[in-house]
Amino acid sequence: MTELALYIHIPFCRCRCHYCSFVSTAGRMAEMPAYVCALIGEINLRRRTGALVKTIYFGGGTPSLLSASQVGEILAAVRANYAVAEGAEITLEANPGTIDKEYLQNLRQGGINRLSLGVQSLDGGELEFLGRQHGTAEALAAVCQARAAGFDNLSLDFIYGLPGRSIRKWRVMLREIIALGAEHLSLYALTVEEGTMLAELARCGAMALPDPDATAREYEVACRVLAQAGYQQYEISNWARQGYSSRHNMTYWTGGEYLGLGCGAHSFGGGVRYAATENLDAYLVALGAGCLSELTEEVLTPRLALSEAMMLGLRLNSGVAVDDIRTRFGIDLHECFKTEIKELVALGLLESDNRHLKLTLQGRLLGNEVFLRFMPP
Amino acid sequence: MDQKNIRNFCIIAHIDHGKSTLADRLIEMTGALRPEEMSEQVMDSMELERERGITIKAKAIRLNYRRADGEGFLLNLIDTPGHVDFSYEVSRTLAACEGAVLVVDATQGIQAQTLANVYLAMEHNLEIIPVLNKVDLPGAEIDRVMAEVKSVLGYGEEAVLKISAKTGFGVSGLLEAVVARIPEPKGAPERPLRALIFDSHYDRYRGVIAYLRVIDGTIRRGDRLRLMAAGTEMEVLEAGFFNPKECPVDELGTGEVGYVATGLKQVGDCPVGDTVTASARSAETALPGYRPAKPMVFAGIYPTQANDYQELREAMEKLKLNDASLTYEPENSPLMGHGFRCGFLGLLHMDIVYERLEREFGLSLVVTAPGVRYLITKTGGERITVINPSELPEPSEIAIMEEPWVKVSIISPAAFIGPIMELVRASGGNHRNTHFLGIAVGTEGAQRVQLDYDMPLRTILTTFYDQLKSRSRGYASLDYEFEGYRETRLVKIDVLVNDEMVDAFSRIVPPAEVQEVGRALVHKLKEVIPRQLFAVPIQAAVGGRIVARMDIAAKRKDVLAKCYGGDITRKRKLLEKQKEGKKKMKNIGRVEVPKEAFLSLLKTDF
Repeated sequence: MTELALYIHIPFCRCRCHYCSFVSTAGRMAEMPAYVCALIGEINLRRRTGALVKTIYFGGGTPSLLSASQVGEILAAVRANYAVAEGAEITLEANPGTIDKEYLQNLRQGGINRLSLGVQSLDGGELEFLGRQHGTAEALAAVCQARAAGFDNLSLDFIYGLPGRSIRKWRVMLREIIALGAEHLSLYALTVEEGTMLAELARCGAMALPDPDATAREYEVACRVLAQAGYQQYEISNWARQGYSSRHNMTYWTGGEYLGLGCGAHSFGGGVRYAATENLDAYLVALGAGCLSELTEEVLTPRLALSEAMMLGLRLNSGVAVDDIRTRFGIDLHECFKTEIKELVALGLLESDNRHLKLTLQGRLLGNEVFLRFMPP
Repeated sequence: MDQKNIRNFCIIAHIDHGKSTLADRLIEMTGALRPEEMSEQVMDSMELERERGITIKAKAIRLNYRRADGEGFLLNLIDTPGHVDFSYEVSRTLAACEGAVLVVDATQGIQAQTLANVYLAMEHNLEIIPVLNKVDLPGAEIDRVMAEVKSVLGYGEEAVLKISAKTGFGVSGLLEAVVARIPEPKGAPERPLRALIFDSHYDRYRGVIAYLRVIDGTIRRGDRLRLMAAGTEMEVLEAGFFNPKECPVDELGTGEVGYVATGLKQVGDCPVGDTVTASARSAETALPGYRPAKPMVFAGIYPTQANDYQELREAMEKLKLNDASLTYEPENSPLMGHGFRCGFLGLLHMDIVYERLEREFGLSLVVTAPGVRYLITKTGGERITVINPSELPEPSEIAIMEEPWVKVSIISPAAFIGPIMELVRASGGNHRNTHFLGIAVGTEGAQRVQLDYDMPLRTILTTFYDQLKSRSRGYASLDYEFEGYRETRLVKIDVLVNDEMVDAFSRIVPPAEVQEVGRALVHKLKEVIPRQLFAVPIQAAVGGRIVARMDIAAKRKDVLAKCYGGDITRKRKLLEKQKEGKKKMKNIGRVEVPKEAFLSLLKTDF
């Protein structure tokens, strides 16, 4: 039976964070009930038999703006239209400050078994700089409440590479992060994306751009400190205790099939990528009329699929298996990319044995330089 | 038409002083084109010319003018190139005319280039009709500029016309003046043919089209002609004139201006300034003033991607068809690969060639620092010329080194004399003369001055013009002409990128400037070369001695932190774009250098 990962996008936020470039809307929360209706309509329309859903992921936006009963309704619709595996990983992204203990208990009882908290920083000033709606106290409280609600698979997101942050401050914060005892950690370098508030601030000189050297130092420190604390890095930005890697996200990096539901959600299967409209109004209108919203479609050529397999697979610490590529694409990496591999190994960015290609620590910091060498010429 | 009803003239003006607008107005007012047919500035036909607001290729337009008393005239308006690089072409255009309309911008006054061209016109005994243009503008300083014209050129107020080419004010008066003041051609119809080529361009179907002025005799379709200097023989496939559309005719008579389609394969076979005569009945002496085009400025042009060399070669060949003053020879550089060492009339000419190659042929190119032609006498007595810094012999082998000098003339408001003098001194210039133009009337500081210097051509090749402009708030204008070779003592600075010498970055400078230039070069390169996957030392060296060094630290971070289901296509496209960007880089050994780095190095102040 085909294994399937389900992604459900909730494009609502109270406010847009200063660094965010995701599909989300601020100030349209009144439309959430209509959206849940539309989403359930889409789930029904895209009913699928013959596939087993192994993971479900509520991402956003801010999925924790949904009421527990709305989450329950969506999950019920999923179960009515898809075969959901026993013990499926069901994650919901939540922002501290949008949740309390009772809400979390209801989520847990409704079937959410993994919580991903967007903590981002344990410094009040930094949280303000990032435009987050919560403070340090709310973040700590959210972790305690999640535990109290019975979440035993907790993931926390943090941002590093903030302009002006000292390496000492980051070391202290890492100790505090470790003390929170989450099963899973995601650490993201601050990226100033076009169209965000930070980009605006940087353009008018109100903010220094993140310093790539300082960011690299923070990353290296994090890798060392987290390893010492027993977290295993399994992807460029992800660490977990033994057995707690995000099974849902692994689907993306290993080329598995996934189905995205909701406004702006992406899907992949059978060598084709689909993207739903990012326009909330268009999405609501289409589903209101009982039709699927328009999908944009990209059919991957084998060459593009190969470059994606390299770009995604090399993100994982386990790397790309030479045999796997041979099975999927019928090529020998060591033959096809002989000069590239030789060069990257000489530069200290890639480790290569007969069976695997893996990024080195330095390679994880310069991943793009590695990935692009596997792109079509 | 009878010569007494023909007038051949050109317009002399500084860039932006309104030459093209005036030409448009003349065309419109003589009815050659109806107003609705007018595209802005019809005489500038090349796209590039329009963008730069200057004229590169001269063309002649025939205007039919009917005087108030009903008598008809043929006016041939010959457009002149407006830049110092093309002064020889200007001189040939002037030689095809009996008169010139001198356009002076009433808001600005006389500029160096205008003056240089006026003197040229006077040398050719042209009747000059001075006009003040833009008199309708609020910023016009008619009295001041009038005084300047009188003091510098000796024309009293009664001889100077006031016009506005934009509105058409005064233009009909100008047409009357052209007929009344400019002499008619005085050629001899019965003598053997002599016609002056003042411009040419290449046409895919008819070969070289030569623009010419018939001095004596007549050109008829089908005639066999001979070029007296080049020795080329050709047949008149077609003769005609522009009005401004092409109008073929059976013959071009004495005193007329027009074109001849020659079937020749490249403009070099039909050089500007040469004299056309009939093969059957040749003239005894050629018209005076012919000089083969001689490049003054040299630079290497390389394709960014080595495998584009063939395409570049074809593009150079095609460009050469249309540009007799461009020279090129293959050049190999261990690091830059295959390219060409090209010779240009000047910097503007170089810019134009570079831009045309990129634009019209879709090539991505790298240009090396421009240099001059050095004459070297080796210790053994052998004399060589060097146009490529990498071929400069070791100092111990050089007995005498000579470099070209130019006479530079700068016109500027007197207020900027100090900063300009300082700039010229720093550039190795010798002061010859200072001459105040007119008497300042009106606003204080309106007094203008002409500064004459002798300078090594080398020192005005990089940023001299830009600096002159910035030190005079844009007011100073510059003109130069070749003066001669003078003895000099210079050394070559080499630049090493990642321990490999990049000949394209070499500079030839006075020994005293070695430190400063070396430091500026490595500093600039550090700025423009992006960080690589390894540390890159940048060094400047003279002989084996390092005079400056800076290191570009290795790139530490270049990875996208997030890549989940919704990001994959976008992230992959970013990588594709990044990879595409690498293709635009020139590889120097293992170092990827953006082509902009080469350009910005040309613009570095030293």
